[in-house]
Amino acid sequence: MIYFDHAATSFPKPKEVFEAMADYFFNIGANNGRSGYRMAIKASELVFNIRELLARLFQIKDSARIVFTKNVTESLNIAINGFLVKGDQVVTTSMEHNSVMRPLRYLEQRGQIKIFTVQANREGLVDPEAFADILKKEKIKLVVVNHASNVTGSIVPLDVIAEIAHRHGSRLLADAAQTAGAYPVDAASGDIDMLAFTGHKSLLGPQGTGGLYVREGIELLPLIRGGTGSNSEKEIQPDFLPDQFESGTLNIIGLAGLGAGVKYVLEKGVSNIRRQEMKLTEMFIKEAAKIEGVELFGPGDMDQRVSVVSFNISRCAPSTAAYLLDKHFDIACRSGLHCAPSAHSTIGTLPQGTVRFAFGCFNNAAEVEKGLTALAEISRKEYCKE
Amino acid sequence: MPQAVVIVFKSTHDVIKAKNELAKACIAHELIPTPKEISAECGMSLRLEEPLLSKALDLFQTAGVRYRDDLL
Repeated sequence: MIYFDHAATSFPKPKEVFEAMADYFFNIGANNGRSGYRMAIKASELVFNIRELLARLFQIKDSARIVFTKNVTESLNIAINGFLVKGDQVVTTSMEHNSVMRPLRYLEQRGQIKIFTVQANREGLVDPEAFADILKKEKIKLVVVNHASNVTGSIVPLDVIAEIAHRHGSRLLADAAQTAGAYPVDAASGDIDMLAFTGHKSLLGPQGTGGLYVREGIELLPLIRGGTGSNSEKEIQPDFLPDQFESGTLNIIGLAGLGAGVKYVLEKGVSNIRRQEMKLTEMFIKEAAKIEGVELFGPGDMDQRVSVVSFNISRCAPSTAAYLLDKHFDIACRSGLHCAPSAHSTIGTLPQGTVRFAFGCFNNAAEVEKGLTALAEISRKEYCKE
Repeated sequence: MPQAVVIVFKSTHDVIKAKNELAKACIAHELIPTPKEISAECGMSLRLEEPLLSKALDLFQTAGVRYRDDLL
């Protein structure tokens, strides 16, 4: 099986991820932050160390500002629902995932907030000046941007957007689902106020892990409240991080895997991972463009994209193409709308969507060549024409 | 034998951070379950000898460790 669905979940994981999870399960097992026996201390140390690794990766000074969640969707929900109040206005882009758009639309439908949208171009790229145009005219509390699109791979320059947002008194929430571990994400120099990430994509951890960085000074309300192991004499939720947002028992076995994944990424180096993934991406795009009937989407400039590539094959529905790739060529990929309808509207691929190849750090050139051969064959044959 | 003091922290995150700071500075300490006499707790506390307290607190201050100074 050739796995090209890394934008959904990375596979396989480094063996260290399994080892760390097994070590926790066999040798630690206890909860963090609740008790003082040695097993519990080990669990607390483990969780602390994982936060520190993430802080190193994202250039965050105080790792206590990182809270663990079950995925980036939960992180975005905490940020959006916890930060916005009735009467607030938000700017976002036409490239957002439903993990951003659904919480925003929910608040909009309830008459709580007003949403302004920056339209991306057909490559999925946004012009930072379009944010400035809205921010000059409207009082905007929050700017929400997808760091890289899960449809086109197109990157948004976070530091530029942050500068514009801050100049106008707004805050920036960045969705790093497709970039954390695959593209440099620097919360400090990027001046990011809130950074939502997931553990199971390019951070190489298991499903059920994610997090949210909340810069000091940002006041957020938690989505859920409950036991934290701290301030237990009070029936009021703690107001300090990370406890405020981590009620209930953490997914420590998952976090153990995430920690090992982040360690692997740090040791390999994000820039090396990016170089390797973009080499494959460039090779794929260059060669796929030569195949008759294949239409590629997203930026032509490799510096403006990550290793997520959408394409279509003429006269072949994306779902049919993905089915054929799986059945006849043993290639796993995702087709359809990728939970981002407005991104597909932007690039003109509604309602069918696209086929998406997303390359990961364990893919190689031979696999990409097989993918290209498969596309050539599918576009040539009569598979899709009946 | 010097008197022992117990330092209580805001969060477990701070307990571990404090423990790491003390270990780096070779200051003898012990992680203990928060004594039952102290109602405001985060499950774990640090015990060390009283003469080491001010050095430990300096370290915590520098590293941004949040301890419960209201209980000291």
